[in-house]
Amino acid sequence: MSSPHLEARDVYKTYQLGRIDVPVLKGCSMHVNRGEFLAILGSSGSGKSTLMHVLGGLDRADRGQGEVLHEGEPITGRSERQLNLYRARTIGFVFQFYHLLPELTVLENAMLPGLVPGGIGGGKAKRRARVLLDQFGLSHRLEHRPRELSGGERQRTAIARALVNGPEVLLADEPTGNLDEHTGAEILDLLSEAHRDGLTIVMVTHDRQIANRADRAIRLVDGALAAESG
Amino acid sequence: MYQPLLTSRYLTTRMIPLLAVAAVALCVALVVVVISVMTGFLNMVRSSGQTLMGDVVISYPIRGIPQYDLLIATIQEHPEIVAATPVVDTWGLLRMPYPEGDAKESEQVQIWGIEPESFSAVTGFSDTLQWKNIPDNVSADVLQDVFDQRSEEVGATVVPLLDEQHRMALLRATYHEEIEDDALIRHLITIASDREWAQRIGWFLRNGIDHSDVLGEEAIAALQVLEPRLYDSEQLRLDGITLTQRGRPAMVPGRHVSKANIRTSTGEYRVAAGGYWWLPRFEGTLTTLPIDSRGGMLEPESIVLPFANEFASGVYLIDQTRVMVPLDVVQQMTHLDEAELVDEDDLTTVIGTSPARATMVLVRGQDGIPATEIRDIVQEAYRSFQVKCVAQDLPEIEQPPRLDRDPGLRILTWEEQNASFIGPVEKERELMRTLFSIVYLVCGALIVAIFWAIVYEKTRDIGILRSVGASRTGIVFIFLLYGLFVGVFGALTGVGLGWLITTNMPTIHDAMSEPPLWLGVVLVSASGLLVVWTGLHWRDRKLLPLLLGVLGAVVLGGIGVGELMLRQSGGVVLWDPAVYYFTDIPSEVDWASAWITAGAAALCSVIAAAIPAARAADIDPVGALRYE
Repeated sequence: MSSPHLEARDVYKTYQLGRIDVPVLKGCSMHVNRGEFLAILGSSGSGKSTLMHVLGGLDRADRGQGEVLHEGEPITGRSERQLNLYRARTIGFVFQFYHLLPELTVLENAMLPGLVPGGIGGGKAKRRARVLLDQFGLSHRLEHRPRELSGGERQRTAIARALVNGPEVLLADEPTGNLDEHTGAEILDLLSEAHRDGLTIVMVTHDRQIANRADRAIRLVDGALAAESG
Repeated sequence: MYQPLLTSRYLTTRMIPLLAVAAVALCVALVVVVISVMTGFLNMVRSSGQTLMGDVVISYPIRGIPQYDLLIATIQEHPEIVAATPVVDTWGLLRMPYPEGDAKESEQVQIWGIEPESFSAVTGFSDTLQWKNIPDNVSADVLQDVFDQRSEEVGATVVPLLDEQHRMALLRATYHEEIEDDALIRHLITIASDREWAQRIGWFLRNGIDHSDVLGEEAIAALQVLEPRLYDSEQLRLDGITLTQRGRPAMVPGRHVSKANIRTSTGEYRVAAGGYWWLPRFEGTLTTLPIDSRGGMLEPESIVLPFANEFASGVYLIDQTRVMVPLDVVQQMTHLDEAELVDEDDLTTVIGTSPARATMVLVRGQDGIPATEIRDIVQEAYRSFQVKCVAQDLPEIEQPPRLDRDPGLRILTWEEQNASFIGPVEKERELMRTLFSIVYLVCGALIVAIFWAIVYEKTRDIGILRSVGASRTGIVFIFLLYGLFVGVFGALTGVGLGWLITTNMPTIHDAMSEPPLWLGVVLVSASGLLVVWTGLHWRDRKLLPLLLGVLGAVVLGGIGVGELMLRQSGGVVLWDPAVYYFTDIPSEVDWASAWITAGAAALCSVIAAAIPAARAADIDPVGALRYE
C-alpha cells in the first residue's frame, strides 16, 4: 500500500501568548492522498489554519510531538533550507486575504514563486504565469496592481501564484472566505479544475457547503480530529 | 532572483526611501563641503607659503649674513637651484598719507628689503601686484597731482616748450571769457607766470579737447615723461616690480596695509573716498630702529618713499603687514650696508670694512624636487661657501656665521619655517574629519530608523515571501540591496550637491553678503501662493496636507523674510579675511576625500540596513501572514 501524499501523525502545536501557553493542535492526525481534494472543516480557533501551516512547512510542530510526512518521508526534522525548497517546489499556498504584494503587478505577483531558489526560474515563471492568468481570465489585468482588482480577481491571481511552480499540493486557507457567494463559487470551480488536473488540494473552511465540493472532509474540534466524512 | 525586482519596486513606488536618500545625500554633501574647504585652505597655506618664501630659507636675523653675493653664487652653482635672492627684514613704522592734515596714521609694518628681479625669480612677486593700471576714477587725481604738487617741474619742463601760438591757443581755451583781441592775449601771455601756465595746462588737460593741437606734440611728450603712468599702461606694473618711481626708489606695501583699500562683499577692492586715497599717488615715511653689532638700539632711521604699487599675496597676515623696499635702502636703514670700521679709541682711524649683509636668503629649486632635498643642497652649498670665505682669509668681521656653531643660523624649508602655522591648520582639518565622521553615525541612525519603519510596514510581504519559499538570507538580501541602493544613490547625490555648493562658494558668499532682492520676493510670494493653494485644496478636512502646506509656507516665508531682513541690514560677510588669513574662499572639491566620504556613507547605509534586515529575517512567517 502506498503512503498518503501528505500526513500528520499525532501533531501538537502550542503557541505562547506572553507567559501563557495556548495549545492549538492537540494530537491531531490526518492524511490526504495523492490527487485527493480534502476539506478541513472547523470553527474559528479550532486549529485548522495552524494545521495547514504545519503541513506546508511554514510552521513546525512542537518538538518531539508527532510528525508530518510527505510521501512517507518526515518533513518535521528537515533543515530550514530544505523546508524553503519544500515550500517552493511542493506546496502552493492560497490565503483568505489573497496576500498579494501591493507594489508588484498581477503578472509579477503570479511569477514571484518562480524567482525564489528552487523555483522554475524567471523566464519560465513568466511564461507559465501568463498561461495561468490567461486561463483564469486575467490576461487583460497583467500590468495592473492588486489594488485595482476586484476580490475575485485578486484571489485568482493568488491561485495563479500558488500554481506557478507546478506544486504537488495546494493548501488553501478559507479561499472563498472574503468573497461573495458567486465569486466564491468561481474560485471553487478553479480549484476543482486544478484538482481534475491531478493536483492534491487541502482546503480549510468553516462552511459545510463549501466542504461538500471536496472529495472528503474532516472536522477539527479543539485541535484534534473529530470526525471524517466521505 | 526576486530581490532586485522587489528592491526596485520598493524604491520607485514609495516616498520613504527618498527620505533616506535625502538624509545620506545631505550628510555626504556636508562632509564634502567642509573637508574641501579645509583642504583648500591647507593647500592655500602651503602654496602661498612657497610662493612668498621660495623652497628654502637661510635666515640669520638682526646681524645678517655677510658675503651673501658669494653665498648666492655658490648656491646657484647647483643645477637643481633656479634662483636665490637676498632679503633684509626688519620691523618699522609706516606713516600713511591719510587722513588730511598733519596728524597722519602710522602702521606697524614688516619691512622686507629685496632685490626685485631675483626676488621675483624666487617668489613670483611680480605676479602679485595689485594695480595693473591706474583705476579710471583715479586718473584725474593723478593728473591733478602733477600740476598741484609738481608745478615747478611742469613750469621747468613743459612750459618752455609752448611757443606763442600754443600759449595763445591755451589761453583762449582756458580763459574765463572769450577774448577777441589778439593784442590783449599777447599781453596776457607776457604777464602769466610759469605756475599759472602749469595750472592752465592742468585745467585744460582735464576739461579741454584736442590736447596735442593746442599744446603741441612736444609739450605732450614732455608731460608723458613727467607722469609716464598716465600714458603707458605698463608703467605702473614696471614701477612695482622694480620698486622705483620716476627713477626714485619706491616701496610696495601689501594691499591690506592701507586702510583705504576696502574689500567689497564681492571680493573686489575699492579705494576709499572715490579713489582719492589710491596709495600710488602718495609718499609714505618708513621709520626703523637699527640695532648695532652688540644688540644696542641706535637712533631711529626714517626715509620718505613714494608708493610704486601694492601687492596681494592672498595671505591676509602678510598683505596686512609687509612692505617691499629696495634692498640697499633697508640695508642703510638697518645699518647692514657696507660701512667702514673705525677704531673705537680713535674714530678717525679706519680699521676695515664691514660688508653689506642680508638677514635671509630665499632659494627656489627646480619644480618637482622636494623642498627637503633642496634644503640639503643648500646646506651643502653653505658649507662650501664657508670654506671659500675661510680660504679668502677674510677678517673675523667679514666671516659668515658657522652652520655648526651658530644656532641663530637656520636653513629650513618653507614648510618647516611656517610649521607653527601649517601644523595647526593640518590638525584642524583632521579634527574636522574626525568630528564629521559622527555624521556617518547620524546617517546610519537615520537609515536604521527609516528601514525599521519599512520592515514594520512590509511584515506581511515578508510572510508572503517566506510562504512561497524565500529563505531568511534572501529576505536579508532584499533590505541590504535596498540599503546599498539608498547609500550609493544618496552618496552620489551628496557628492554632486557638495560639488555644487563648494564650487559656488564665492557666489553663495556674495549672495549672503549682498542678498538679492528677487530671491526674497520669490520666496515670500511662493509662501503666499502655497497658503492660498493649501486653502483651496483643503478638501475632506484632512489634517496632514493642511499641516504640510502650512509648514511649507512658514519655512519658505521665514527664509524669504529672513533674506529680506538680511538685505536690509546690509548682508553678512562670513569669510572675513582678517579671521581666515586668506582673502578668497577655497572652492575646489577635494575629490579624494569626497569619494572616500561617499564610499563610507554607502557602506554605512548597508551596515545600518543590516540591522532592520536581520529583524525582517527573524519575523515569524505565520505571525507575519496574520499581520494586518
